[in-house]
Amino acid sequence: MRYDDNVSAAADGPILRCEAITKAFGGVNAVNGATFEVPRNKITALIGPNGAGKTTVVNLLSGALKIDTGKVHLGNIDITNMERYKIARLGLMRTFQLSRELSGLTVLENLLVAPKVQAGESLFNIFFRPRLLQREEKQNLERALEILQTYGLYALRDNRASDLSGGQKKLLEISRGVMASPSLFLLDEPMAGVNPALIEKIGGYILDMKAQGVTVLMIEHNLNVVERICDNVIVLAEGRTLATGKLSELRENKEVVTAYLGEIINAGPSH
Amino acid sequence: MAQFWFYVFTLVFFLFDYFILAMGLNIQFGETGILNFAYIGFVALGAYVTGAVSLPSSVGTAQQYIFGFNMPFPFSLLAGGVAAMLMAVVVAFITLRRLRTDYLAMVLISLSLVLYDVINNYVRLFNGADGLYNVPQPMAGLFHLTSNAFVIFFACVTGVVALIMWFVMSRVTRSPLGRTFRAIRDDPDVASALGKGVFRYQLTSMLIGSFYAGIGGGLIIQFGGSFNPSAWLPGETFVVFAVIIVGGVGNNVGLLVGALLVETLLIHLPAFLPDIPGHPGLIEYIDAMVIGVALMVMLWVRPQGLVPERVRRFQVPTDELIHRDGHSVEAPVIDTMSATPTPSAMAAHEGEDA
Ligand SMILES: Nc1ncnc2c1ncn2[C@@H]1O[C@H](COP(=O)(O)OP(=O)(O)OP(=O)(O)O)[C@@H](O)[C@H]1O
Ligand SMILES: [Mg+2]
Repeated sequence: MRYDDNVSAAADGPILRCEAITKAFGGVNAVNGATFEVPRNKITALIGPNGAGKTTVVNLLSGALKIDTGKVHLGNIDITNMERYKIARLGLMRTFQLSRELSGLTVLENLLVAPKVQAGESLFNIFFRPRLLQREEKQNLERALEILQTYGLYALRDNRASDLSGGQKKLLEISRGVMASPSLFLLDEPMAGVNPALIEKIGGYILDMKAQGVTVLMIEHNLNVVERICDNVIVLAEGRTLATGKLSELRENKEVVTAYLGEIINAGPSH
Repeated sequence: MAQFWFYVFTLVFFLFDYFILAMGLNIQFGETGILNFAYIGFVALGAYVTGAVSLPSSVGTAQQYIFGFNMPFPFSLLAGGVAAMLMAVVVAFITLRRLRTDYLAMVLISLSLVLYDVINNYVRLFNGADGLYNVPQPMAGLFHLTSNAFVIFFACVTGVVALIMWFVMSRVTRSPLGRTFRAIRDDPDVASALGKGVFRYQLTSMLIGSFYAGIGGGLIIQFGGSFNPSAWLPGETFVVFAVIIVGGVGNNVGLLVGALLVETLLIHLPAFLPDIPGHPGLIEYIDAMVIGVALMVMLWVRPQGLVPERVRRFQVPTDELIHRDGHSVEAPVIDTMSATPTPSAMAAHEGEDA
C-alpha cells in the first residue's frame, strides 16, 4: 500500500466508517461506542453538547489519540491506530478546535509546508535535482497564493503566523488543509469565535470544497449553519451516536431534542 | 611577531570551528527543535575518531587506542564526521521515537555523561583520561611547515571547510526540507497531521547536525594534535548553546557573530591574557562567569539573539495574481503589500538567510 495515494474520491460507499469506537481518559469514557458513516462528497455535521466527545472523535479518526476498542475504515483501508502521518497521507486532514498555526513560519510558508509529499524534502533532491525542486516549488507557490487570495489572507502572506488574529488563524488553518488536497477534511468548529460576516464566508468556502470533491465532516454548534450547508447530521451525546439523518428529521426526534436541540431551542443559539 | 600571528590564527581557527559546531547544533535545535544536550559528546567522538584513524598503529607506543590507520586528511576528518552520525542513529532510535522534548533533553544529558565515563575509563578505546596526543598535523610534512606556519595554514583550511559547510547548510535550511524542519519545531502534532513523518525528519536533522559536530571535533584534534576529557566536559555543550543563543538561533550569520563573540572573544582571547598577579587561573573563572551572565542577559533582553531568524519573504508578481479569479484581495490588516512586481522572480526566495 502506498501512503501517498489519496483515498479516491470517485469510489463509492462511505468514505469513512467508524464502528463502536471507544476512548477512556482515566475514568471518563469520552467516546463510548460511537458508530457512524461519513458519506462521500457530502458535508456532514457532527453535533452534540459540550463534552460529548466530538473533538475526541476527531482525534481518534486522525490518529492523534489511540483508539481503545473499535474500528475505523477510510474507504476500504483500515486506519485503526495507524500512525497519524500515514493517515494524513491517505488524504484525511483535520483542523484543531483551538487553531494551531506554525507560529514561526509565515502565512505563506504555513501553506507551502502542507503538500504531503514534496521532492524538496529529500536531501538527495536538494543537491542533485535542483530543477525538479524549482519546478515543484513554483507550482506549490502558485497554488498557495491562489488559495491565500481566495481565503483573503493574501496580503498577510509574509507575516509570521503567530501575528494573526484569532479569526485569521482559523482561516489559515482551513486554507492550510485545503493546500494539502484532502479527500476527507475534518473541521473542528471552524466558525467558533468568528464574526457573522466571516461565518458566512467560511460557509461558502466549505461549499466550494464540496464542489471540488472534498468530503467534509464538521463539528458545529451553530444550527443555522448546519441547516444551510450540511447534508447530514450525526448527533453525539456522552460518547455515543444518538442519531443520524437530516437536521429536519432530527428536530422530530425526541431523544435528540432532549439531549441537545432542546437546550438550544430554549437557550437560543449561542456558543 | 611570529608569536602574535600564532595567537591571532589560533583565534581565527576557533572562530571557524565553532561556526561549524554552531551550524550543527542550530539545525538540530534552532531549526528542528531537538534540544540536544549531548551535543559535545558528538563533537568529542568526532575528535577521537579523527585522531585515532590518523595516528599510526598504537602497537609499541605509550598510548592505547583503536584504529591507528595512518589515514590522511581529509579522510580522517570525514571518518570523525561519519562516526558522529553513526552515534546519532543510535541515539535517535533510543530517544527521539518516544520522548517529549523536555524528557528528551534529560535523557540526552544522561547519555552524554555515560559516554563521558565510558570513554574516559575504557582506556583501550581512546587512551582514557590521558586522551589522544601526538596526532600528526595534516599536510604539515607535505608543505614543510613550521609549527607557527601550520597554525596559520590550518586556520585557513578550517575557513575553507567552514565555507563549504555554510554553503551546504544554507541550501538545506532554505529548501522545503528546512521548512518542514521548522514546521516540526513549531508544532510536531500539526506537522504529522499534515502527513510529515516527524521521526524521519528529526533523524535527518540529527544526522546532519552530528556530522557537523564530528567535523568540528575532528578539526580540533588535527589543529592541536591532542584531545582529552578536559576538552569536553559535558558543560561544554552549553558553550555551543551560548554561541547560537547570543548570535541568533535560526540565522547562519548570527551563528558566525555568536562564534566570534562567545567562542573567540570570551573563551579563547582571555586565555592569552597575562595572569592577574597573585591569582593564577582567576581569569578563567571570571571568564566562565562572564559567559553565564552574557547568556542570561541575552535571554532576558534579546531572546532572538543579536542577528535573529529572518522571516522568509517571497517576491510575488502581485499584478498577475490579484483579481485572477475575480476574488478581490481583502484590505490588509497589517500592510505588507510591498513586493515589487517582478514576474521572473516568481519562485525566487528573497530575504533568505545567507
Ligand atoms: N486529553 C484528555 N484527558 C482527559 N480527559 C479528556 C481529554 N480530552 C477530552 N477529555 C474529556 O473527554 C470528554 C469529551 O471531550 P471533547 O473535547 O471530546 O468534547 P467536545 O464534544 O469536543 O466538547 P466541546 O463542544 O466543548 O468542544 C470531556 O469530558 C473531556 O473532559
Ligand atoms: Mg470540541
